[in-house]
This record gives sequence, structure tokens and C-alpha cells, in this order.
Amino acid sequence: MNIAALLSPERVRYGAHATSKKRSLELLSELLNEDATGPDTRSIFESLIGRERLGSTGLGRGVALPHARLPGLDAPVAAVLNLDTGVDFDAVDRQPVDLLFALLVPEESTDEHLRILATLAEMFSDTAFCEHLRASGTDRSLYEQVSQRLVDGAPA
Amino acid sequence: MPFTDSFILLSGMLVAVSILATVPADRSGVPLLVVFLGVGMVAGADGLGGVSFESVADAHLVGTAALAVILFDGGLHTPFASFRTGLWPGLAMATAGVLVTAAVTAVAGVVLFGLDWGPAALLAAMVSSTDAAAVFYLLRARGIEVHARVRNTLEIESGVNDPLAIFLTLALTLWLAPGPGGTAVDLALMLVRQIAFGAAAGLGGGWLLTALINRLRLAPSLYPLLALAGGLTVYGAAAVAGGSGFLAAYLAGLIVGNRASTARGGIRRFHDGMAWLCQIGLFLLLGLLVEPTRLLPVAAEALGLAAVLIVLARPLATLVCLLPLRFEPRQIAFMSWTGLRGAVPIVLSLFPLIAGVDQAEALFNRVFFIVLVSLLVQGWTVSPLARRLGLIIPRRHPAMDRVDLTRPKGHELVTCVLPAGAPAVQGCVADLDLPAGVRVLAVIRRGEPVAAEPELPLQAGDQLYLLLPGHSPALEERFQHWVDTVATARDDAEQAYFGEFTVAADAPMSAFAAMYLGGDAAGAGPAESVGAFVRRRLRHQASEGDSVRVGGVMLTVREMEGERITQIGVRLPRRGRG
Repeated sequence: MNIAALLSPERVRYGAHATSKKRSLELLSELLNEDATGPDTRSIFESLIGRERLGSTGLGRGVALPHARLPGLDAPVAAVLNLDTGVDFDAVDRQPVDLLFALLVPEESTDEHLRILATLAEMFSDTAFCEHLRASGTDRSLYEQVSQRLVDGAPA
Repeated sequence: MPFTDSFILLSGMLVAVSILATVPADRSGVPLLVVFLGVGMVAGADGLGGVSFESVADAHLVGTAALAVILFDGGLHTPFASFRTGLWPGLAMATAGVLVTAAVTAVAGVVLFGLDWGPAALLAAMVSSTDAAAVFYLLRARGIEVHARVRNTLEIESGVNDPLAIFLTLALTLWLAPGPGGTAVDLALMLVRQIAFGAAAGLGGGWLLTALINRLRLAPSLYPLLALAGGLTVYGAAAVAGGSGFLAAYLAGLIVGNRASTARGGIRRFHDGMAWLCQIGLFLLLGLLVEPTRLLPVAAEALGLAAVLIVLARPLATLVCLLPLRFEPRQIAFMSWTGLRGAVPIVLSLFPLIAGVDQAEALFNRVFFIVLVSLLVQGWTVSPLARRLGLIIPRRHPAMDRVDLTRPKGHELVTCVLPAGAPAVQGCVADLDLPAGVRVLAVIRRGEPVAAEPELPLQAGDQLYLLLPGHSPALEERFQHWVDTVATARDDAEQAYFGEFTVAADAPMSAFAAMYLGGDAAGAGPAESVGAFVRRRLRHQASEGDSVRVGGVMLTVREMEGERITQIGVRLPRRGRG
């Protein structure tokens, strides 16, 4: 599948404010439910927080990749959130997280979903790329940079 | 006394030159033991120094004493905890492994190189054991962390495999030497005595020595000396009674290292120095003893034998011993390659010289050459190989020093420099989550002490002064776990090694499977945790770095506290590959 189609400009927020991990996941749930066609915000949030109970999705260096499977979803959908100040995300390196990419995938598993997740993890472990995103300044610019990278694919 | 003075001058100079030579050698990766041997050879009769040293008996005495100290030190540094993963495979390698290695080498010597059975078997016996000094050095080099089960197995193997090699050599020497040989029954009794007396002297002597160290009030500098004298006494007692002194020295070191509660750091530091001195002295001496010009005639044959030993005998022995114990192929490959030969074969090859066995000198030269090849070829390549095979856990540990305090007795002062990227530098002193009982005394920042207030934010480069209360293995494991999780740099290499995500080992496997395995719990029990699942699928005691594949997902043990798995790394399938 085309992973660039995961994102839309409405589901990207730059410079938002959150005071906790929980609050940042709530914000992401709202973004993921932007067009209000799929499952409701509450169940999105519950599924994301459910995944965090297995272990933090923080990748380190201030980046997190919350993800979950959700019944009633037709296709994978993603949201990007940048915070003005980082929140404690229980990441292995304990670094506060200020850059989050959330991915929801349908309940029916395919290996493809896991591959998307792996690609995203690789993409967000590129420090220079993450620094660019943090400096993007607007929702629009953040969206463009992320989707451009999704189209190009992560470098080998 | 011109001899005395020049002797002192010469020994001081040779040791100093050897120590200085470690600096360029360390940088270029040349195995240090080869450097020491080289310094000896250059100084020797055939070399620039022209120092003539021919006393086989002296070399044997010094060599044996040095080996005893090296093995005692090896034991001192082996925590009992390493037996959890390394005991059975280590023992298998030290017994069956030695026999298979010797048998294959002996057969190859006869079939490929046309040696007679006697000399071929004798030579094979001498080179059948893995060298403790070389293995300890390579696996404990600063900053690298080799997969624990692999490391523990190799360390235990090399710590206890000499008795069998020595027994085989002695038995064959007796058999080949002029004069009445022993019967099979005599030989069997000799083997039993070697092991039984060696073990008894080592365990009993170690226990007694530990009790003395813990009870006596001595000047701090005397504890390490008492330990050294005790170790040598244990060696001697075992050997005089007909037991294996090397086994005894290793076991005594093991007990003192794990059970002494006084002067632990001092004893270890002193013996580190002693072990270095012994290695330098031993290899210098052996370098002086050999006459390089005499090596040339046996070079081709010895090179062939070394090749057989390295690429055939040792790999076969490793495979036979470790495949049934469920080691991974890459681990077996690595352990085959880490069968370094060192001083023991050379010291053993002095036996037949002393006993007057036919062709003993040719044997000595061959053995010397084989050891040289092994040290050079394997010693040079072991670390890069471990890295290539993914057996080095990519973690940058903090620089640490440990000092034991005599008042209050048993306490330890630990200094620890926090590297950039360590979780600790994200918070303040109160967030350190130190194990119960461990206190922060001070923080040294840019050379100046700062009061360790709970709210003090920590920075990279800060040096923590920690106070550890009286020693216990449980506290040690909790403290190690703290170092690994809080004070060690977390970086990209770690993510590449363990996978992109981390799950808690106590998370239910069913929830994990729902997310990553399409709900197929891969045969996990209803309440089974991810950690328990991994442990069960491994079918052996887990080590950090062990992995299990489920579907396309790789689960790797990421963190352990003692024998308990705490964190599991998850690697997802990649685009374009399986």
C-alpha cells in the first residue's frame, strides 16, 4: 500500500501543548478522529493507552510512535503531533518526548502493517530528520516534510 | 655482583618495554600476549639482545607459578551468577571438548603429517586446552560486553580445562618416557586423584582463606598478599598431594572472589596487577627460551597442525558439546574461533623435555609455533568476529571505579561517570531510582564537588559517588541492573540490535499477540507473560541478546535483573525482506 496516504494535513499538529503522556495521547486520538468517520475518540485513546501498557512506544531521543489495532477501522491511519515542551513518556532513555507519530491499523492483521511500523520506526530514528520536523514551525510545513519523507521512503 | 645487577637491570627493562609496547599494540589490535612473546624473542639468544636463557627447569617453575596466579585471578573475577548460564556448557567443553580436540588433532597429525602415534598424541594433548589468560583478557576488555552465556561458558571452560590437558600430557609422557610406564589402572587412579584432590584443596583452601580474610584485622595492604599467598599454598598443597594445582587455584580464587567481604576491591585490583605481571613474565620467558631459528624447520608442519586445530578439531569439539545444549550456530562459530592456545601448551611441552622423551625438543618447537599462530590469527580476530556475529551487546557502560572501605567494614565506594545519553542525565538526583540501601554521597561536576541534593539536575559527565552497603550477591545484581538501565548510554546501536520497540517482560503474551501476531499467541498459555514465553521457547537459561522468532517478529531479551528477564526488544519485519 501507499504509506503516504496514511496522513492528511488535518491530522498534523505543530507546537501543541500537553502536560502528560496521557494528554498527548488524547490529543493524538482527537487528531486521528478528525473526520469523525471511524471509531470514536474514546476507543482510539483506549487502544493507544492499552498498547502503552505493554511497554512505552517511546523510541528514544524525544520521539514516540504510539500504535494500536482497532476494530471497525477500514485502512491504516496516522497522525503527527509536535509538542512545545516534551512530556515524560517512560521511554528507555527517559528523555521527554515532543515528537509523536501515531498509527492505527485495522484489527485484521497483515504483515504489511508491521512493515509500515518498522519503516516509520526507522524513519524516526533519523536524528537530523526529527530536528527538521521540530523546526518546521507550522502544521502545514510539518505535514509536508513528513509526507514527503513517506513518499520518498526511509533511506536505506 | 655483576650478575645480580645486570639481571635486575635486564628484568626491569624487559618488563618495562613490554608494558610500553601495550600502547601501540592496543591501538593496532595486535594481541598483547604475542607482543610479550615477541619482546622475549627479540631479547633472546637469536635476537638483538643475545640473552641466552636455556634453563628448562627454571622456565617450568616460573611458568607454573605464573599460571597458578593467572588462574587464581580468573576465579576471583568469576561471579557465582555466571554458573547459571555457563556451568554445564563450560564443563562439557572442559572435558569432552578437550578430548575431542586432542583426538582429532592426534589423528590429523598421524594421517596428514606422518607423525608417529606417540608424539602425535602427546602434541595433541598439549594443545588441547583453551588458554584462560587469553580468553579472560579478550572477553573482559574494557567497554565490550559479550553475550553472557557465551562469555560465561568460555570463561568457565578455560578456567577448568587445564587439568585434563595436563593429565593427558603427563600420562602420555609417562608412557613414552624411558623407564617403566604406568598401567591403565594407575593412569585412571591418577586422573581421579588429580580432579578429586584438586577440587578438595581448592574448595577447602578457598573456604579457609575466605574465613581468614573476613575475620582477621590486618593492614589493608596485607589482605591481597594473604590472598596471593593462600592461592599459591592451595596450588602447592593440591599439586604435592597429586591433585591438579591449577584446578585448585581456580576454585580457591572463585570462592575468595565471591565470598570475601573484606578488602574485595583491593584483592581484585592487586591480583589484576599480579596477573598482568605473570602474563608478561611468563610470555617474556617463553620468548627467551625459544630459539626462533629452530622454529623454521618445523614451521610448515606446525602451521598445518595449527590449521587442523583451528578449523577442524576445535570447531568439531565445540559442535559436539554445544549443539545439544541449544547454542545458536553463530554462537558455536564464535566459540570455536575463541579456542585460543596460550602458555599452558608451552609449559606442558617442557614436561617431555625434562623427562627426556625422544624428539622432545622438536615437540616443544612445534607447540610453540602452534601457540604463536593461534594467538596471532585468533587473538587478532576474536573481537571483530564477535561484533560481526552480533554477539556484542551494544551498550556504552559508564566508567566506574570501586574502592572498598575498611570502616565501616564491607562498604564500598563506587564512582561512576554518567555518559551522554544515559537516562540518569534526564532527571535529578531524586530520580536515580538507586537500589535500596545505595546512597549518593556527592556529585563531582567539572572537577568540583556539588552537594547531592535530591533536586539537583544531573548532566552528562557528572561523576557520582555512591555508597554501597555490605556486599551481597543480590545487591550486586540489583546494582548491575541499575547501571545497565539508568547509568548506561542508550543509543541507536541499541535500537538496531534489540529492535525498535520494547515491551515489559511481564506483559501478557495474549495482548502482545493481539498487536503483533494477528492474535495467534504461538502456543502461549492463557496467562503466560512475554518473558515467560521467551524463556520457555529458548529452552535454556536466558541471557541478554538471546532471541526467539515468532511469525515475522523477533523477540530479543533486552534487560535482565539477575536471572529474571525484565525487558524484551521487539523487531518487526522489514520491507523487502522476510
